[in-house]
Amino acid sequence: MTTTTTPRRFVRADGPDKVTGSGRYTADLTMTGQLAAKFRYADVAHARITRLDVSAARAMPGVMAVLTNDDVPDVRFGPFIQDRTLFARDVVRFEGEVLAAVAALTPAIAQAACDAIIFEYEPLPVVGDIEAALAADSPLVHDDWSAYGAADVLVRDRNDASFASITKGDVEAGFAEADHIVTSRYVADGCHAAPIEPRAVVAQWEGDKVTIWTSTQVPFDARAGVCETLELPSNRVRIIVPHLGGGFGGKCGFHYEAHIAALARATKRPVRLVFSRREEFIAPDRRREGMVFEITSGVRNDGTITARKAWVAVDNGAYTADSGFFSQLVAMHIAGPYAIANVHVDAHLVYTNHQPSGSVRAPTAPGACWAVESHTDELARAVGMDSVDFRHLNALDTGRVGPSGQTHDEIGLQQCIAKAAEMIGWNDDRPADEAVGLAIGWWPSFAAPSGAYVKIDGDGAGQIITGAQECGTGAVMTLRQLAADELGMQPEDFQLIYQDTSAAPYDMGATGSQTLFNNGRAVVEAATEIGRQLRNLAAQRLEANVDDIVLADGAAHVAGTPALSVPIAELAAEAAGGELLIAHGSGVPPSAPALEGSSCVGDLGMAAWVAPQFSCHAVRIRLDRDTGVVRVLDVAAAHDSGTILNEVGAHGQVEGGILMGVGQALTEGTVYGADARQRNAALLEYKLQTIADSPKVTTHFVQIPTPNAGPKGAKGLAEAPNVPTAAAISNALASLLGSPVRQLPMSAERVWEAMQS
Amino acid sequence: MSTTVNLRVNGTTYPVTIDEGRNLVSVIRTEVGLTGTKEGCDDCECGACMVLIDGRPVNSCSYLAVQAQDREITTVEGVMNGSELHPLQRNLLEEGGVQCGFCTPGMIMSATALLAANPTPSEEEVRIGLSGNLCRCTGYAKILAAVERTATESAQEMAQA
Amino acid sequence: MTFLIATTVDEAVAAMSTGSRPIAGGSDLVVGARHGKFALPTDLVAIDRITALRPITTNADGTVRVGALANHAELEVNATIVGGYTALADGAALVGSPATRHVGTLGGNVMNASPAMDTGAPLVVLGASVELRSADATRIVTVGDLWTGPGRTSAAANELCVAVHLPARPAHSGSAYLRLEYRRAMEIAVVGAAASVALNTDGTLAAVEIALTAVAPMILAVTGTSSFAGRTIDDALLAEIAEMAADQATPISDVRASDRYRRHTVGVMARRAVAAAADRAHGVTISVPVNRAQGIGAAR
Repeated sequence: MTTTTTPRRFVRADGPDKVTGSGRYTADLTMTGQLAAKFRYADVAHARITRLDVSAARAMPGVMAVLTNDDVPDVRFGPFIQDRTLFARDVVRFEGEVLAAVAALTPAIAQAACDAIIFEYEPLPVVGDIEAALAADSPLVHDDWSAYGAADVLVRDRNDASFASITKGDVEAGFAEADHIVTSRYVADGCHAAPIEPRAVVAQWEGDKVTIWTSTQVPFDARAGVCETLELPSNRVRIIVPHLGGGFGGKCGFHYEAHIAALARATKRPVRLVFSRREEFIAPDRRREGMVFEITSGVRNDGTITARKAWVAVDNGAYTADSGFFSQLVAMHIAGPYAIANVHVDAHLVYTNHQPSGSVRAPTAPGACWAVESHTDELARAVGMDSVDFRHLNALDTGRVGPSGQTHDEIGLQQCIAKAAEMIGWNDDRPADEAVGLAIGWWPSFAAPSGAYVKIDGDGAGQIITGAQECGTGAVMTLRQLAADELGMQPEDFQLIYQDTSAAPYDMGATGSQTLFNNGRAVVEAATEIGRQLRNLAAQRLEANVDDIVLADGAAHVAGTPALSVPIAELAAEAAGGELLIAHGSGVPPSAPALEGSSCVGDLGMAAWVAPQFSCHAVRIRLDRDTGVVRVLDVAAAHDSGTILNEVGAHGQVEGGILMGVGQALTEGTVYGADARQRNAALLEYKLQTIADSPKVTTHFVQIPTPNAGPKGAKGLAEAPNVPTAAAISNALASLLGSPVRQLPMSAERVWEAMQS
Repeated sequence: MSTTVNLRVNGTTYPVTIDEGRNLVSVIRTEVGLTGTKEGCDDCECGACMVLIDGRPVNSCSYLAVQAQDREITTVEGVMNGSELHPLQRNLLEEGGVQCGFCTPGMIMSATALLAANPTPSEEEVRIGLSGNLCRCTGYAKILAAVERTATESAQEMAQA
Repeated sequence: MTFLIATTVDEAVAAMSTGSRPIAGGSDLVVGARHGKFALPTDLVAIDRITALRPITTNADGTVRVGALANHAELEVNATIVGGYTALADGAALVGSPATRHVGTLGGNVMNASPAMDTGAPLVVLGASVELRSADATRIVTVGDLWTGPGRTSAAANELCVAVHLPARPAHSGSAYLRLEYRRAMEIAVVGAAASVALNTDGTLAAVEIALTAVAPMILAVTGTSSFAGRTIDDALLAEIAEMAADQATPISDVRASDRYRRHTVGVMARRAVAAAADRAHGVTISVPVNRAQGIGAAR
């Protein structure tokens, strides 16, 4: 079944807070006695600390604490490689590394104290080039890399923090069958999540327990980080997330919660940190990774891709945040959603003295998709085939086998290709300075444990208490609808209690597009249990068989006898005097599919994709040939993200993801100096797209039954729309220029330079 | 040095004692105590701090609070019609123009200024009118729709009246 | 720190004579101070309530006096400016965002003397002068004489810019300003060019002035354009103009663009500015700003 959908009105539960200004974000919180925190940063990319003297800063009036690595437990941490410490120890490895933290009466005093810290260092050779960093004679970012604790499965060697390969079939044999061999090289610059809210943290101790209000996407991860670095049990650390002003992955992981908790403990006062925009650019371990790609494919004259071989280097930056799995993930993306018989990919995650990389919206995928899809159009041109036909021929389909040996169940990729091409008017005539281009992408759904409670109190009002985190997507908001549907109630009958690690069971957080996929399952299970309780109560009250009780329209009815009914509120009142309507749910996460005929080195489970999402974006662009300035006029997006549970929200995810992709394609890229420091850490120089730039977006959801998916057949959605946009723009541009612009972003100057050669 | 000035915010006069170098957003958020106005960049590049001064949009991060004395300052907290959402606020919610919500107050202030100056803007005029407000979530489509719907509804009401 | 609100020019210049710095919208001062470029001045005199500095008036001799407090939002729609000094309206319409256009004033712009200011090149090609007042004198200098370097002017610390004077426009003339922009709003000029064109009655070129944005330490007036007098405005002439502008530019490489790309694109902007100015001189209506009416950034 393929349906075209029209958004319907869905007013989010947190909406009134957000349009009236009454909703509180972390930086809006003020505690009595609160101090202001500031950090002193390294401001040098690679150096050995020879002197770090905080005595003058400590002596300044109004300064309540100055902390360095000497003042916190000596713990190395990191989810994949334990390669970092809260504060710099001996060596600084990127400019945003925290040397010291100050708490003072005012932000101005705190800043003055930071400036008064004496930092002397011996410069070390800067590692700024990903490929050079892999050379045997490259300076090391971490001299002690081999001594670090790390996940057993990681394949590491010097600056290569995580190597992964995927092999299927025999690429050399595949190349031998080909009529054309095309080799392409692409370079993608790093970029930023750039949520509009700069991060903030407030910490307050009461006795031996700390409460931390923080702008994190992953409260349970943040708690784990605090517990690990400050050596605290999880039940003494409570993370509460007020409204979160966007994340896009940039606020995943554990950031500064422990620093601020340590300052609050040292000063016995609440402490608040609020980042400036510059800090937001420079400091967090969450930049989108820069990458270098070399791809070779063999293609027969009939258009069949016979083999694909690729080499990828991913910029890990100075420390390994959650990036350990990037090498395997990028290997999947550079192979692409194609049914190619012979595939081999080698991927390296490479230490440099850049800001650490971390999961930004579909990590590795937009850059890799841009490279492989640009390359794919090069293949189509080599055999003189239309891009759409070429993809129909080679792309995955139901029953076909992907690069890691996964045989795909029911998927809608082919429908996405056809629909996107149709919506953009693929074969229409257009002016000479305009062109269309198209690209396909994919992204896994992430199965994970997740929990929720549902309760209905004596007045019939419901509450969902969930570990899930809302970062703006509306995923948590949609949980009300799932509970309401299960219980025959209205979404408005439920309030959400969320973003509080001490109130709710575990959830992975607003990461991996997983909220509805996993927490939706939990809420449905909990609501189902409430439904069971309600049916039992109704069966007694109505003297009917419990199997005949139907919950609908706020009441329990006897099937076939609609007149026999009792309002849920009455049943809730009855339960309030007895068993109480309380339930918990978690459900069993879907299991990973089997892989056959492939081998994976450095396997972190990123090659077997549960309920994969597919997409095709087609764009219409205009090129100013005199300057290289490109404008994106229209985007047609077709997505298979399974069943769409919240139409308005789903369209918003697609539209937002696309515009982020447009920015990534054209104007967003981190510029590093030879000193490995960022040169455009401000919104004037790092250019997000404005409303004046945003193209018209037409979205279509291919909704087909998905085996092994989330609630009601849903897959994830938040990241997928960010994947193929830049690639589609590249292909439109290449059709005007004759060949692709091989560096991302395809800035006006780079487009112009490409036209000169 | 500090000085005491009267700031009129959403029709209420607030006597505040502040350093002359303070920017307006910090005074609104701290001394006045209204945190709906957000701070996202500190140099006029994001629009989250947008307020109206005498009806005109101003980035309050880059405006001295003392310069606003005795002028009419409007923040997002002053937009509602009594206890009812302003049509612009309601339409932003119904069209799906709000996700994380951090740009929303500034967006509302820019849209309010735009619609006051130009009650029936073209799509291009809405785009230019809101071009000083960055949103990272929505791709702007639903914000555009909400502002256009507000203008249309307002024009219909005027026609009926 | 002191902060005085002046309601008359006399009050303002009196305060300036004792060391106060004038502040109109204040964006440049506040942002600059925040980013540590310079400290906020100790003593400020607010001039934004001096109503006498607001009006845009046409004098009997056809010259126009633009009050120093005229903001960009006014300049982009003011009938006098749009009608006769269109390049200035083009430039004003491209500044920052609606908010910065409301807060930013022409006087503030002129005295800030940024080589990237969008109103700068238009003022040069339109032959603008600046009226400076101190407690005891008034003098008028051309913008070319005012600007002495990036962020530097020949004005004394006690001189307040009270107005910008624009000479009467020649017959059959038009002007335009374009800039290179990577997005359609919230931009700063990577390069830009303004042109003023006057036509002979036979449609040939009587005079053309060109000035360039962000390719030199100051707004750069292109020299040697008088050799084009009498020429027909065609592709060959426009190509020569592009080459002349590119040749005279001395751009730097920075995070926004390389010198090579700037040199090329400033030629493109100069060519387009002359073409648009000539079209306007011919009576063709190109709405303000040219960037959004045609070419780069056009909505189409």
